[in-house]
Amino acid sequence: MKKNILLVEDEKALCLLYEEELSQEGYAVTAVTDAEAALAELGKTTFDLIITDIRMPGMDGIELITQIMGLRKDIPIIINSAYQSYKEDFMTWAADAYVVKSASLDELKSKVKHLLGD
Amino acid sequence: MSELRKDLVSGRWVIIATERSKRPDDFRPGGGTARAAEPGGFCPFCEGNETKTPPEVFALRTAGTAPDTPGWKVRVVPNKFPALNRGTPPPKPAGGIFQSMEGIGVHEVVIENPDHALELSDLPVPHIRDVFRVFQLRIKAIEQELHYQYVQLFKNKGKEAGASLSHPHSQIVATPIVPKRIKEKIYGADRLFRNFKECGFCRILREEAAAGVRQVFLNRHFSVIAPYASRFPFEMAVYPLRHSPFFTDVDEGELLALAETMKQVLTRLKETIGDPPYNMVLHKAPNHLLSLESWPEIERNFHWHLEIFPILTKVAGFEWGTGFYINPVPPETATQFLRQP
Repeated sequence: MKKNILLVEDEKALCLLYEEELSQEGYAVTAVTDAEAALAELGKTTFDLIITDIRMPGMDGIELITQIMGLRKDIPIIINSAYQSYKEDFMTWAADAYVVKSASLDELKSKVKHLLGD
Repeated sequence: MSELRKDLVSGRWVIIATERSKRPDDFRPGGGTARAAEPGGFCPFCEGNETKTPPEVFALRTAGTAPDTPGWKVRVVPNKFPALNRGTPPPKPAGGIFQSMEGIGVHEVVIENPDHALELSDLPVPHIRDVFRVFQLRIKAIEQELHYQYVQLFKNKGKEAGASLSHPHSQIVATPIVPKRIKEKIYGADRLFRNFKECGFCRILREEAAAGVRQVFLNRHFSVIAPYASRFPFEMAVYPLRHSPFFTDVDEGELLALAETMKQVLTRLKETIGDPPYNMVLHKAPNHLLSLESWPEIERNFHWHLEIFPILTKVAGFEWGTGFYINPVPPETATQFLRQP
């Protein structure tokens, strides 16, 4: 059975790219473009892993993580941000991994596999 | 009329702008306390969330409880994303006008208590003593590694002071070199010793006790003064009465007196200005296991102390450009307010 990943990424092109790449790795990916939609999905489906951007319109990724942790602490979370600087925010410790976006998706895929025990 | 004042130790000039003088209420933060809960109510520093931090390097905890589980009183963890990483310092590169070295060091977070809502000043005195004891133990342990010339302890409270999380915590950063600001203080202390034929800080404490207008608090082991050339409104410095350059020398009796002192001054700050954001920094001698050759007179000339800076004004272009600070509250006025129990 495929493991479920919730992907939160506001840039539609990147969202499509991640969705396709992770699907090719054998995961079932639900992609949304904002935090509010992510919270709505969490109410409907059980996910094995969450990948979220930080800088997004409306609720940002850090606030999303705190909301998720208030609901469920057992879902691994990967921060996938273009910015290193959010590492200074102790709230990012709530995530299980912090990946800085790059042209290669190797690090992101590697963290996904590690956190899902694949 | 404004006054220019020179800080004896650093040689820095400060403008005491009395015409801009304000009352404590003028500085009260608009939204009440700065201790709002984190959005969503989750905090990686709270008891029960130990798995969200790197494994603890030290903790004061209830007997029988395992590391990285609930049951702790003060907990120290490495920074998950440290400014500097542990390692062996490489030799300093020689030649060229631009010098650099690898950024090795230690970066730890001291979580002061398990309760998100209890600030340092809210804790009972014995708990505050334990927090400072943990500071001592960690500084001692890091200095034993013999790689780090200086260990800096600091606390950022409130967003404006640089804290990203409101759960009370402090940080320890060890560096392989002695920072410039500390060197400036050591040179200033050397100069004062030559001038006064005694420790300049001991002399300042004696003068302040005699003057009586900037001494905020005094107990059997500590004196808190609003420095003569305060850079910031309600700035305070906490000095031990016993001369020592090393914070790690503080004994049990002094540690308890330090906790009583911190409880008093932080509570007064909170009551006077309304729980302002602040920074607290420890200034002490460099690692004595490494520094005695470089600083042969450090034991005689330097005197450890804590500095507390409420963040009530902005450091802007003029300050950055000139090194002058414009302080709208004379330290004598600040002292009057801070003395009120």
